[in-house]
Amino acid sequence: MTDYALTLYDVAVRGLRGVSLALLPGEIAGVVGPTGAGKTTLLQVAAGCVHPTRGEAWVWGCRITDANARKFIGYAADHAAFPRALRVREVLLYYARLHAAADPERAPHGLVREALEFAGLGAARNLLVGALGHADMQRLALAQAVLGGRRVLVLDEFLTNLDAIARRDLRGRIARLAAEGAAVLIAARDPAALERLAARALVLREGRVVRAGPLPALLGERVLEVILDAPPPEPPPGFKITDAGIEAPLAGRTVESALAMCRAHRLAVRASRVRVKSLEEIVLETHDTH
Amino acid sequence: MRFIHCVLAEWALVAPRFTRTRLGISLLALGATLVWLGSRGLDPVTVALLAGSLGAILGAAGVAGSDNERRALATALSHPTTALAIATGRWVALTGPAALLVIVCTATVAWRPGIVTAGIVAAGAVGSCALTFVIPLGNATALGLFLLMALAGAVAPERLVAMADPGFVRVAAASVLELGPALWHYRDIATGDVGALAHALAWTGLGVLIARAFIARRRSSIR
Repeated sequence: MTDYALTLYDVAVRGLRGVSLALLPGEIAGVVGPTGAGKTTLLQVAAGCVHPTRGEAWVWGCRITDANARKFIGYAADHAAFPRALRVREVLLYYARLHAAADPERAPHGLVREALEFAGLGAARNLLVGALGHADMQRLALAQAVLGGRRVLVLDEFLTNLDAIARRDLRGRIARLAAEGAAVLIAARDPAALERLAARALVLREGRVVRAGPLPALLGERVLEVILDAPPPEPPPGFKITDAGIEAPLAGRTVESALAMCRAHRLAVRASRVRVKSLEEIVLETHDTH
Repeated sequence: MRFIHCVLAEWALVAPRFTRTRLGISLLALGATLVWLGSRGLDPVTVALLAGSLGAILGAAGVAGSDNERRALATALSHPTTALAIATGRWVALTGPAALLVIVCTATVAWRPGIVTAGIVAAGAVGSCALTFVIPLGNATALGLFLLMALAGAVAPERLVAMADPGFVRVAAASVLELGPALWHYRDIATGDVGALAHALAWTGLGVLIARAFIARRRSSIR
């Protein structure tokens, strides 16, 4: 069990019905699903904020409910709050003092310096929290989560509502942490936010994992999009109607055979292209099929 | 030692809160008002008790009562500390400035160690009680408690029930004044009344423990 950075076994609590997962050091797992699927509850259990009514949760072989577990797990909640009257470095110094209390060999100011540097907050260190923009608030949330060299990060809606540049920057910082051996569990209601980050995805629906696997395998399926001059009265078998025409997963057949089927149905094909499935489509599929 | 360090981490935030929020200006205004009332004939014990209790309520509102501070408790709990350390630290953080206010006001009006002790002990008890209200319910309750203490805190319960047919409401109000932290009771600390001191210390301990329970509940309220 201690080979895993984070282990959840059959955990259940309100809104979550028996979820298991194990995260290896250096692994980034994304949790996606619609609002109310149980993403935040799952992350709260993983961070030790909510005690499961059933099942067990461990971090580095330590029960997640133990006070010591908080030395290993960093948590950035959705809309994490910090005292608005304090400066960025004062907020981090407050948390650093708590870590130094648990481990007297650590100097609080050194921990703050590392966290500021890691999160890219050096220039904002003297700003009041109340004056920070959303991207810097997320950086502060990341800084406090990594503070003290914590090796398991639980990040809720961390990349949501960010501009493309800030999202890329934070994605890079998380990826660097993972490359250094930290395990990351990150949730997003917008699946596209995780496509370039997570190595593995769990699709949640109504408190259960309905689909899970490595992202390349989940997204590996190719889809043939066919643009038609006019919408067909009925799509060929295996195809579904889209705004511009029809589309179907290739699922073993060739592009030529799929297009031949279109021609056999007397459809006026204007253009076609093959693309890979998106994580959003997988979430929608699981929503439609369950 | 770990507990003490966690408590001191809370104390370290007093200075920025005092200078950058309304806490500092509110305490200064309260102190100026009480010194003025003292110069106009308000007795020094009442000045000390009001400085301690009202200063502690303002402190509770400043260090733990705002929506943002209450939400930030959940973030603090994701670090290696405990709800008891946070509750104790916030109590120390709100009692410290109130105790300083008591010392300044008493030194200005009429310095006597017994009066200072009564004011500081009242600050501890009322501050602890205020914490138990502002952490779950916010600053609106701090305002209510402030007005209650300022207007009725010095009323002895006997004045409500010393009549032939006091009625349920008066008996209930008298019970609240009897059991809750009340200035009429803590006046006697100035003269060395052990019962009043024990009442205040019991409220201090009970308030911190109840505040601890409310803080622990906020761990799962991160949203």
